[in-house]
Amino acid sequence: MIDVVQLAQNLINGVGLGLIYGLIGIGFCVIYNASGIVNFGQGVFVMLGGMICATFLAHAGLPIWLAALVTVPVVALIGVAMEVAIVRPMWKRGASIFAIILATLACQMLIEQVTLLGLGDQPRTFDSFTPGGPLMVGGVALPYQFFWVLGCGALMVAGLWAFFTRTRSGRALRACSQNAEAAALLGVPVRRMMMLSFALSAGLGAVAGILITPSQITAYNIGTPFGVNGFIAAIIGGFGSAAGAVTGGILLGVFQALAIALLGASFKNVAALSVLLVVLLVFPQGILAQIKTLRSSRR
Amino acid sequence: MRSSRTMTLPVTTSTSGGLPWRHILLAALGVLVVAFAFSANGYVVTVIGFAAIYALFCTGLNFFMGFTGQASFGQNAFAALGGYGSAILTADYGFEPAIALILTMAFSGVVALVVGYPTLRLRGHYLAMATFALGLITYEISINWTDVTQGYMGYSGIPPLGIGPYYADTPKQQLAVILILLALGVLAAAALKNSRFGRACRAIAGSELAAGALGIPVARYKLVSFVIAALYASAAGSLFAHFVGFISPEVFGTAMVVQSFTMLYLGGIGTIAGPLIGAVVVSLLPELMRGLKDYQTIGYLVILLGILIYAPKGVAGLLDRLLPKREG
Repeated sequence: MIDVVQLAQNLINGVGLGLIYGLIGIGFCVIYNASGIVNFGQGVFVMLGGMICATFLAHAGLPIWLAALVTVPVVALIGVAMEVAIVRPMWKRGASIFAIILATLACQMLIEQVTLLGLGDQPRTFDSFTPGGPLMVGGVALPYQFFWVLGCGALMVAGLWAFFTRTRSGRALRACSQNAEAAALLGVPVRRMMMLSFALSAGLGAVAGILITPSQITAYNIGTPFGVNGFIAAIIGGFGSAAGAVTGGILLGVFQALAIALLGASFKNVAALSVLLVVLLVFPQGILAQIKTLRSSRR
Repeated sequence: MRSSRTMTLPVTTSTSGGLPWRHILLAALGVLVVAFAFSANGYVVTVIGFAAIYALFCTGLNFFMGFTGQASFGQNAFAALGGYGSAILTADYGFEPAIALILTMAFSGVVALVVGYPTLRLRGHYLAMATFALGLITYEISINWTDVTQGYMGYSGIPPLGIGPYYADTPKQQLAVILILLALGVLAAAALKNSRFGRACRAIAGSELAAGALGIPVARYKLVSFVIAALYASAAGSLFAHFVGFISPEVFGTAMVVQSFTMLYLGGIGTIAGPLIGAVVVSLLPELMRGLKDYQTIGYLVILLGILIYAPKGVAGLLDRLLPKREG
């Protein structure tokens, strides 16, 4: 028999982790919508967020909020550098999508190697944002960091929504995703938008990395699983809205938590990857979009 | 998913009607490398052996990517199947290495058929990510299914290649066997490239719609091409297991995907000689960069990125420019 309290605990952990996946998933969508490129190196921003923040905390002795505030722009800049140095030249030369995918993957490995040389191969972590906890609710432990993840996650989604609907830049980004040529004709600086999308996406990854590091650990090579899970979240959400990606992430996190409860921790990645394959093969438009079309066709 | 980018890879559409001295030059280089390997010490033999195994792997991948214009970021899955299959069959069950090689190839082919049937309906990024996931799933299983794979510890005690009473005991004998198998594999790929099937595959790479309109069974040919690539990958995995005598999950990890793609793009994707050139150059690069020590991997990745950006047709593409073929 599965212990109910244990199951509830797993689910709570799953929701927290799923929200992180959702944030990474949004990062995928932002770049994809602006440029039609899927950045296979997305997970590296999560790693950089955690590693750089941990370094600022340990060596510069900054308080956590300041370390986070410094880390996010640094990682965003690395994202911009990736766009300027690698993606844009290939884009200009009309490289095939597979070549660009490979380049982003190689870029991830390059950043990992540089991190390995600069910061070493030791896993790092830092304390929760607020000391103490966890909050006990009927035998289920809710760590304070869980609330930070929920709060910051909600804040990010709300902020992104406001950015995409209320600001000029956000609307311009959406225009690029609808029709880049028309947007360019209307005076939207498409190239600058592509740069902006990489900055935004890298920043989101960094936030995800900073939020998750206290409850897990970070090391130079944690990028790939986070990147892949973020991609799965984006796929479930249909590669469209931020809310879709977050919903997809939470679904994935919960599913992974159930898989851990039933199969044991070692097969959680296999379970997530199987979800990816099933979703890709059965719902190529994403589960949420599929449900929407089903509903509208019934009307 | 929106697809504003072109989905096809750069495919050289020329058939093998080039100047003979182009081929002579390449053949001479090949003979030189082989002669060097056999006259040199054990370490060089190992490096060239790895290069030959990777060349076999890339020749298969090139058939699927270069000629048929698809993408698989998960061919390492089939190399792992081949490697672990051969290791388990020979070390645990006492099979002949040659028979184990063929059995695992058949098994990998069936797996490719079953997995490829639904997966190859996908295109572009979805195809890339789905195949990438196949490789990652296999990697995770090879780590976690410790009863069968011995996990991180790896699988040791794999006997050398051989059949019946004939065993390739020394590394040089092993290298000879690998090179013969590689030659067979390359000849088969060259023959397939210009066969009716191969030409149909190249038509698919050009345009699936047009190929379909000409009566080419697109889905079936893509699947066959995927299975061919899996057979090559499986054979390469098996050869690796026998050549080294030890395998672990890391051998068939994501690094293998990036390395084989580097070879393909550096050598020149969509050509017969490309994978061979790429495999030799990329295998020798780390040796040339020994002085860089810790920066070796970084140097290697920088070279890959430089090629992807500035010379997307690779060395074979440069040869085309330097030694142009006679028209007509």
